[in-house]
Amino acid sequence: MADQTELLAKLKALSDDYAAQLPDKLAQIETHWEQLSKLDWDEQGFQLLHRMVHSLTGSGKTFGFPALSDAARNLEAFLKQIAESEAVPNEEQSKQIHSMISVLHQVAIKRDGAPVGVVAVAQEPHSELRSRRIFVVEDDEGFAASLKTHLGYFGYDVSVFHQLEEFRQAIAHSSEAVILMDVSFPEDSWGGVHVMQEVQAQREVPLPVIFLTSNDAFQSRLEAVRAGGIAYFNKSLNVSSLIDKLDDLTSIQPAAPYRVLIVDDSPALTEYYAAVLEQAGMTTFVVNDPLVVMSPLLEFSPDLILIDMYMPGCNGMELAKVIRQLDAFVSIPIVFLSAEKDLDKQLSAMDLGGDDFLTKPIQPQHLVSSVNSRIRRSLMLRSFMVRDSLTGLLNHTAIKDQLSREVARAKRQKSHSCFAMVDIDFFKKVNDTYGHPVGDRVIKSLSRLLKQRLRDNDSVGRYGGEEFAVILADTDGVAALKFLNVIREDFSRLLHQAEGTDFSVTFSCGVADVTDFADASELGEAADKALYQAKHAGRNQVALANKG
Amino acid sequence: MTDKLNRILYVEDEPDIQMVAKLALEMVGGFTLEVCSSGAEALEKIAVFQPQLILLDVMMPGMDGPTTLGKLRELPSFATTPVIFMTAKVQPSEVAEYKRIGALDVIPKPFDPMTLASQVTLVWERSDG
Repeated sequence: MADQTELLAKLKALSDDYAAQLPDKLAQIETHWEQLSKLDWDEQGFQLLHRMVHSLTGSGKTFGFPALSDAARNLEAFLKQIAESEAVPNEEQSKQIHSMISVLHQVAIKRDGAPVGVVAVAQEPHSELRSRRIFVVEDDEGFAASLKTHLGYFGYDVSVFHQLEEFRQAIAHSSEAVILMDVSFPEDSWGGVHVMQEVQAQREVPLPVIFLTSNDAFQSRLEAVRAGGIAYFNKSLNVSSLIDKLDDLTSIQPAAPYRVLIVDDSPALTEYYAAVLEQAGMTTFVVNDPLVVMSPLLEFSPDLILIDMYMPGCNGMELAKVIRQLDAFVSIPIVFLSAEKDLDKQLSAMDLGGDDFLTKPIQPQHLVSSVNSRIRRSLMLRSFMVRDSLTGLLNHTAIKDQLSREVARAKRQKSHSCFAMVDIDFFKKVNDTYGHPVGDRVIKSLSRLLKQRLRDNDSVGRYGGEEFAVILADTDGVAALKFLNVIREDFSRLLHQAEGTDFSVTFSCGVADVTDFADASELGEAADKALYQAKHAGRNQVALANKG
Repeated sequence: MTDKLNRILYVEDEPDIQMVAKLALEMVGGFTLEVCSSGAEALEKIAVFQPQLILLDVMMPGMDGPTTLGKLRELPSFATTPVIFMTAKVQPSEVAEYKRIGALDVIPKPFDPMTLASQVTLVWERSDG
């Protein structure tokens, strides 16, 4: 048996190599897919794509990237389905492939044993900016200043260091920060890498570092990975792609607990199920009378429903059928609970809309794992259905569903809540002047700004083209107006880059308070009307809707 | 009783996987390994190397794993040399199909470099019956 330390060192070196090559591999997949999606059905080209993805599936985990293997396996399965139909992917499928490829990018930074530093995000209502510390270490003063300005607009707290020694001292007293580190310095052409190796060696959890460089050679990438670099950024690239990366890094928040609605006529049993699931970290809502399930269903908005098969008044299968008739719950996982051992009956229950069948008495562990895995899968599928592929925001349907839920909640709790429509001014001119890719970047930058400024209970969606919808929970019209105006001003100060020139863009916004209107559709119309007023009054402003 | 496993012919087209498997099998497992990057290369080298066991990647450009297995079986000296497939597809139906065409077992990818050698040894020892 060979020396363990030597073996581990060699494995680490191979894994570093692999990590350094990953960005290129992902870029190749992306480019290949882009070319492929423009052509007629090309079986060989498609097979090549399949093979490229397959290679990630089969290798990621071996080199310490288990999440990459998982994501690639999902994409592979999807590609296989398409290949079997031997037809050019339709628009929907193309979108999905595109978003699955971007998932690959996201998980490619999740490496085992080198945890990505998670920067804490303070949870204050409408805090001016969520403080996120960035250390920029860069000897080019102009470049550093421009980074500081841009990152500042997106809510990052940036400290700039022009010399390595300054940085060394500052980092010794700082517990967490994301570091943007230039690779080469006048005194040492690998100075940035060397100083990071030194700093990381003294830390239990490595700091997240993004290396900045004007040199894209493989060797530099490799050195960067060895110094704990989680990303590598070419200075000639657009700043907005750097911000994308930073957002990925700093927005890693614990997922919200899974929500389970339990419908069973026996209070003793429901209490037991609820206790088991809550112990596993889930949130539950119990209904003992199936006939009153509708309003908790809409308001609690569960991720999964557990239904007892035999209840007085309405049996489980009937209830499942009724729930499935609601558009919003067509795809929600439904699991039946019953003492029924007859397979035929179980199967017919599935036919009527159930996804699974748990036989009583149910082992607690079995209940938890069955519920867990069903929810995980369903949420993943749903994220492809409800997210806009360019911005990752909720899509039109999803934000409208969210609005109905929020209006129902606010009306019941007699609380305020605001709905705002945001529309970029003269967006067509941006597209016509600079081209669609630049237009897309503008859309992404606004979506990023909105996402960053909102609290967890708020929602933002892309309503269409250059139009966004925002829901501000527990916020009255006056506060919403003030809050949206701050965002509007910050957005108007952002400089967008295209063809070597900088330009700025503004938006107009209409906002309406739920207490002034009867229902979601009136609220939506009012916000739309206010948006029209804001446009009409000269754009770059926020208008509050008058009471309906 | 078969001899102790030592000589393994390993066929894999991807260089990075080749390297990590080489470490895993040589350093951890102490096996003697001959690495081939394609089915064609394996057919060329097998007579000289005389492996006791063949590890075959399933998805390779050109000649894939199952095709390579078919060609190997046509060589009289290697008609019964045990073959293990390595693949990222591990659906039961596929495993059954690989076994039907003569594979001893299937090792799923991505593999863990620290345990690959013991996985291989386990399959080898079980095959003695």
